[in-house]
Amino acid sequence: MTDLDFRAGGQPVPGPAGTNLADILERVLDKGIVIAGDIKIDLLDIELLTIRLRLFVASVDTAKKAGIDWWETDPALSSRASRDALQDENRELRERLEALEASVDAPAARQADTGKTRKTKTSKQAEDQQP
Amino acid sequence: MTHPGPRAQDPVAQTATYVFAVCRDTRAMNTADLTALPGMPGGAPLRLLSSATLTAVVQSVPTADFTDEVWQQRLSDRQEIERYARAHHEVVSAAAARGPAVPLPLATLYHDDERARRVLDDEAERFHGALKRIAHHAEWGVKVYGRQKPPQAPGATPARPVAVGAGPRQAPAPGAGLAYLNRKRSVHQGRERRRQEALSVAESVDAEFRQLAAASRRLRTHDASLTGDHRVHVLNATYLVAEERVDELMRMTRTLRERTDAQIELSGPWVPYSFVGEV
Repeated sequence: MTDLDFRAGGQPVPGPAGTNLADILERVLDKGIVIAGDIKIDLLDIELLTIRLRLFVASVDTAKKAGIDWWETDPALSSRASRDALQDENRELRERLEALEASVDAPAARQADTGKTRKTKTSKQAEDQQP
Repeated sequence: MTHPGPRAQDPVAQTATYVFAVCRDTRAMNTADLTALPGMPGGAPLRLLSSATLTAVVQSVPTADFTDEVWQQRLSDRQEIERYARAHHEVVSAAAARGPAVPLPLATLYHDDERARRVLDDEAERFHGALKRIAHHAEWGVKVYGRQKPPQAPGATPARPVAVGAGPRQAPAPGAGLAYLNRKRSVHQGRERRRQEALSVAESVDAEFRQLAAASRRLRTHDASLTGDHRVHVLNATYLVAEERVDELMRMTRTLRERTDAQIELSGPWVPYSFVGEV
């Protein structure tokens, strides 16, 4: 991305145009001088707000629309997210490997069409069949 | 607490005084015309409220629409929160066009003007301290993203199945399991290497900008669900930069972009939201 979201060379215009919501939220929610108001409103910080919005999105939208894999690469969820993602992937890999091994052991007939791809059992079903 | 006195001219709806930003009580500020901006949805026209030495940009808003319960609802709705956050930001930015302005956090409300004025007086010292710190400075945001994933080699694994859990599987060729694992491993290693590279670029970018800035803050890296941006965000920092050093900032950004492989985005000038609080 080479687009610049600042007005190069121009007079400082407070508040860049076209800024994304996260940029604004992290400033209007968490920042600013802390002065007690008369009316107490719990605004959450941007992290909690993001989680809440995400849950909201997930509950009304399809997982696909929300981007089912966003959390795998999301450093906002810090190292825990990447660790969880790794563990999940490891588990998935182990399952797939077991499934693959099970199928290789299965009747030779299958080897006839090794070149082709076709639907086969899920790893769960494959596991169930193991002796 | 709530005296009906100052609100007597407003018998229809109970209103509260929403304070956006606090500025010095200068002529430039006091002649600012803010009527072009709507401010908070449902609010009265924006106006200025003067205390002994400060001027605040305020708005009368319907109290019923600014309770904690209503805000909790609002905070669950991306569009609503965006609407209010942008409205707040717009007013703060306009206030800062005439001189330094200290932004208050979203939804800072007082029962009436008198209460708001009293806070301005009570906290005048802190406000003036912050105004002094940010005068002739702007906030600039710097974000660094890791390099994009290299284009997939032909014959590489297609995108992972959408659903987590048991999806349809392909029939394996002999040795396919091992090939699959190797492929997965190299994808992993590639991703991890890119992430490490990006992180080290992030650190050096931050170090360079800190040299130029009067102050700096690290913010949380962004979540893709808010930005719709799936790049790996490795640095989100913000810097308080003096007006006369902005050219330098631009040059430095260009140089860093050329020197490093990472994507560097600069945003600003912002009202120094991140630098008005206690340091």
